[in-house]
Amino acid sequence: MRSQAMFFKARAGDKLADRQLQANLGKAKSRFVEGRAQAVADYDAAPGADFEALRDAASAIRDRVLANLDVWLETFEDKARARGAEVLYARDGAEICRLVVDIARRHGVTKAAKSKSMLSEEAGLNAALAAAGIEPVETDLGEYILQINDNEPPSHIIAPVFHKSKEEVAELFARTHHTPKKDDIAGMAREAREVLREHFLSAEMGISGANFLIAETGSAALVTNEGNGRMVTTLPKVHVVVTGIEKLVPTLEDFSTLMRLLPRSATGQRISNYVSVLTGVKGEDDLDGPEHLYVILVDNGRASLVGTEFEPMLRCIRCGACMNHCPVYQSVGGHAYGWVYPGPMGSVLTPLYTGIDNALDLPHASTLCNQCGVVCPVKIPLPELLRKLREKQVELKLRPWRERLALRLWGWIASRPALYGFAARIAVRYLNRRAGGTDRIGALRAAPDWTAGRDLAAPEGRTFRELYAERIRHEARRKR
Amino acid sequence: MTKEKMRVGLFVTCLVDLMRPRIGFAALRLLEAAGCDVVVPAAQTCCGQPAFNSGDTRVARALALKLIVEFEGLDYVVVPSGSCAGMIRVHYPQLFDDDPAAAARARALAARTFELTDFLVSVLGVAEVPGDFEGTVTYHDSCSGLRELGVKAQPRALLAHMPGVELKEMAASEECCGFGGMFSVKFGDISTRIVDRKCDNIRATGADAVVLGDLGCMLNIEGRLRRRGDERTRVLHVAEVLAGED
Repeated sequence: MRSQAMFFKARAGDKLADRQLQANLGKAKSRFVEGRAQAVADYDAAPGADFEALRDAASAIRDRVLANLDVWLETFEDKARARGAEVLYARDGAEICRLVVDIARRHGVTKAAKSKSMLSEEAGLNAALAAAGIEPVETDLGEYILQINDNEPPSHIIAPVFHKSKEEVAELFARTHHTPKKDDIAGMAREAREVLREHFLSAEMGISGANFLIAETGSAALVTNEGNGRMVTTLPKVHVVVTGIEKLVPTLEDFSTLMRLLPRSATGQRISNYVSVLTGVKGEDDLDGPEHLYVILVDNGRASLVGTEFEPMLRCIRCGACMNHCPVYQSVGGHAYGWVYPGPMGSVLTPLYTGIDNALDLPHASTLCNQCGVVCPVKIPLPELLRKLREKQVELKLRPWRERLALRLWGWIASRPALYGFAARIAVRYLNRRAGGTDRIGALRAAPDWTAGRDLAAPEGRTFRELYAERIRHEARRKR
Repeated sequence: MTKEKMRVGLFVTCLVDLMRPRIGFAALRLLEAAGCDVVVPAAQTCCGQPAFNSGDTRVARALALKLIVEFEGLDYVVVPSGSCAGMIRVHYPQLFDDDPAAAARARALAARTFELTDFLVSVLGVAEVPGDFEGTVTYHDSCSGLRELGVKAQPRALLAHMPGVELKEMAASEECCGFGGMFSVKFGDISTRIVDRKCDNIRATGADAVVLGDLGCMLNIEGRLRRRGDERTRVLHVAEVLAGED
């Protein structure tokens, strides 16, 4: 997927003006935010259970993996190979596409059923498959909806059609399936299931992501709510897992710790409807399962973060809690962010994976309110990472010269108290003149965007320094 | 500090200095009423937060060192702003990774720095305040005060002690108002959408005033309320309410 992150500001403006989207965002937000709060409260209510301690344990597991990523990768590779899987590595998106197309060709695949893989979005895999004459069919309901809507990109990492209303989907289904318009979600889901069943049975290859890779068993774990993941990974004779190298956890025990956090943080569920732990190819006594299993471990920028100040970002387990709770995401939705990952995690990942100069706005598209940091199940200090990206931009002189100059000038003045006092007096008098005798300023040339939506309350006429100095003089006189 | 009065440095912040001096005086009055010997270092300017949040660490470091020097000899530093107090308490020590001596000074200052209501309640154990506000108020928790410093119960405890004040909680009082310093300048329209939700929640309480502990939120919320045509709801800094009129 090509990044459109450079256009965040313009796209955000469009999204703010989209009334339907705004209504949809409002409804979806309360569901996720309240759902998580309830799930956390329920968890803490159990004797001896402490959600905070769970977060600590989870981030420790993630850090343990990152500290020796190479070792855990080797362990996973050995175990997975021993169970008949072929483990491949991909450096970037192009390599993912090449590997998957090669595998498909080798097995004479004409149709691939897909489930849940953000990495295939990073790589633009669907387009590559289509170009190679292989039909990709998305089978997650949300992803399917987007695919039939002219390959629209997802707007959320776990609820890809977060931005759409039921009515919009009903219309799309009626148009695409040539069926009468339905008004109930169950009916629509049934309709999609009927269409998709055909594809599950006819696809020669299944492509999925993995929520976690378990090193000690060489398994790929998949967490879903629709059950399609199980079909995609067990029905076709070939199964390809495409996932990031950072998705490893050392043991099944660690996996179960993370599973206590992931669904609660994501959807407010205690556990998701389906949890599949997929290990190896179909055995002699197995009734089902793939005959060929490929695990493609993808770098695409991840390895370069190990050992840097941005390493904590690799702890991310893709739950979406940060975006659900982000006031900016809640206002503009996921498409404004312009690449695969929206919200606070996307504002960190997009510049790191696609180039810091390709996403200049994103690290600034946050009030640093730290709600994201508070809800992150693996305690990624998201605001701190956003700030570090801002630092990098300043170091690389990527910010507009006006902004850099203004900051330097402010620093220069604020370092010189006498000059600062003088400048402050001038500024206050200027603002009061702009207020023209009223108590507010309706438009300010220095901050046009700010005053487009607000009145600036006029200053009180004199600075604290002036008034305080006067008070001190006054008191001194009185004492004499 | 049993016999002698505690020497408390008041950092008024640049926004208070420029926009609302009366908040600085209200803080002064509260500290004096609580028996502190208040010092207002004359050379103080800005804590460096705008530069820090914009990624200009060099400027942030220079301003941090300047403030450290000015407040170093005092028993405490008190700030009528959650975000500036958070800057000193949480971020100053992080600023000097490569300078252990400066980092130690920053940590020492950080440990003695408090947001105003936190200081009154947690350090001084104040319950009675000079203010005499009459009416219903709702409290907006500003992000840095709340999530960096744990300021939540302190202002409410002080307000609850005022006989004329009735506190009515708004929905989502902990949600950001959309100010975010330069965020509201760079992304004015997104910020407006966020502050609109805050204004709706304030409005729904029917309170006479929204009270808060941060000047940034104050300018942002007041600015939006007035632009929306709400001339009735007062927007007051918690220090003003607690200290009353001079």
